[in-house]
Amino acid sequence: MERLPILSPSKAALCALAAAWGLGLAGPALAATEAGPDWAPASSERLIKLPGSYLKKAVERDFAKSGLAQALQEAETAMRLKHQSLQDIQEAMERADGQVRVDLRHRFLAEKRAYLDLVTRQQQLRRKQALTKIKLYERLMRKLGFKRGAMTPQKVALVERQQAALRRLNASSMRVDTKLFRSSMGKESKYAVAYAANLAAIERLNAAITAHPMNDEANGEMAGMSKEDHLRGLVAAAEAELANLDQEAGILGLMAKLVSLDALALSDDVAGGTADGDEDGAPNQGLTKAVDLFVTR
Amino acid sequence: MKIRTLIVGAAACAMILPLAAAKAGSLENLERERAMLMQAMLSADLSPKERQSKVTLSRNRLIDLERMVLRDKKLVGHNTPAVRAAFENYDLTFLVHASVERDRALLDHWMRQVGVSTESLMNARIGRR
Repeated sequence: MERLPILSPSKAALCALAAAWGLGLAGPALAATEAGPDWAPASSERLIKLPGSYLKKAVERDFAKSGLAQALQEAETAMRLKHQSLQDIQEAMERADGQVRVDLRHRFLAEKRAYLDLVTRQQQLRRKQALTKIKLYERLMRKLGFKRGAMTPQKVALVERQQAALRRLNASSMRVDTKLFRSSMGKESKYAVAYAANLAAIERLNAAITAHPMNDEANGEMAGMSKEDHLRGLVAAAEAELANLDQEAGILGLMAKLVSLDALALSDDVAGGTADGDEDGAPNQGLTKAVDLFVTR
Repeated sequence: MKIRTLIVGAAACAMILPLAAAKAGSLENLERERAMLMQAMLSADLSPKERQSKVTLSRNRLIDLERMVLRDKKLVGHNTPAVRAAFENYDLTFLVHASVERDRALLDHWMRQVGVSTESLMNARIGRR
């Protein structure tokens, strides 16, 4: 393992403290002013026309092609690698003794600080994604509302009359066929035969679509939901993501505080010539799993 | 010169008119066919056999045309006076389906829709205005 140049204990503690303070203070400010990679989805007519279940997929596909998605993926990969190196250092600390252990503790603190930097960056990107999604879905809802608003009372009445007429036709068409064709020598028209064949084909295709495992509309959760309901659900999900991010920012602050306290402890230990030796734990991926790495010294 | 202009004009019209007819919507076709049916039913110049033959032909065409209009997605919410008028009175627009639904003869059904019934005819008096 690469050895770090040994700093004086007071210097190390100061560095760690500065890092912890820096993270705690700069985090929210950075989140507010972050420019960087972007994702600018357009609330196009195509998106409005898509069924609710496909809308989310289309938005996710659009996001996957953006610079923001790429940056987010890179940040997550960097976080995963940093997490792994933290685990490695922690394991090495368990086996080390004396000056090497002090060095490793110093290195562990530096890596924790770097990990917190990466988490901050990833949270900024996730926040940006969630905010962009909310804006997009709200734009779509406004457009949808505008389209509904464009239905004048006269047009609504016409559509209702047309639907009633179609219902009436469907109710009487069988009777018309029986009375005018089957009872006489006449035979069904080319249109009627072709229409029946096409209708049968459409029904078969619809049945196949309904039964398809990738069809989201088949699941009960989507059944009976209007497009506005679905959009409102998507906005709520994005808002929930923002709420989670706020909570995670709180966790990040606590982690930064622990790093500063660890730095103070390291400073005291080195000054007193002893090292604390309680570094067990089995960290995992994800911010809450990384807490284990921060609660141990 | 004038004759040549007329010939060219007539040729142009002959070319344009079929195109215009081909662009007619389902509702226009229905209206045209219904007008022909009414003409066949009310014409005094036709023999009973000719009338029967024309009415049967038009009636069979109208069955398809009425269904085409009602299934035409282009007409849904198409708020024009013609479409509004067509859907304001189902019984008059979709004459064949409505007459079968009400179990009446085509002419009888149409006459009732325009306000002429056997009773009103029987009660009518011949007079001078």
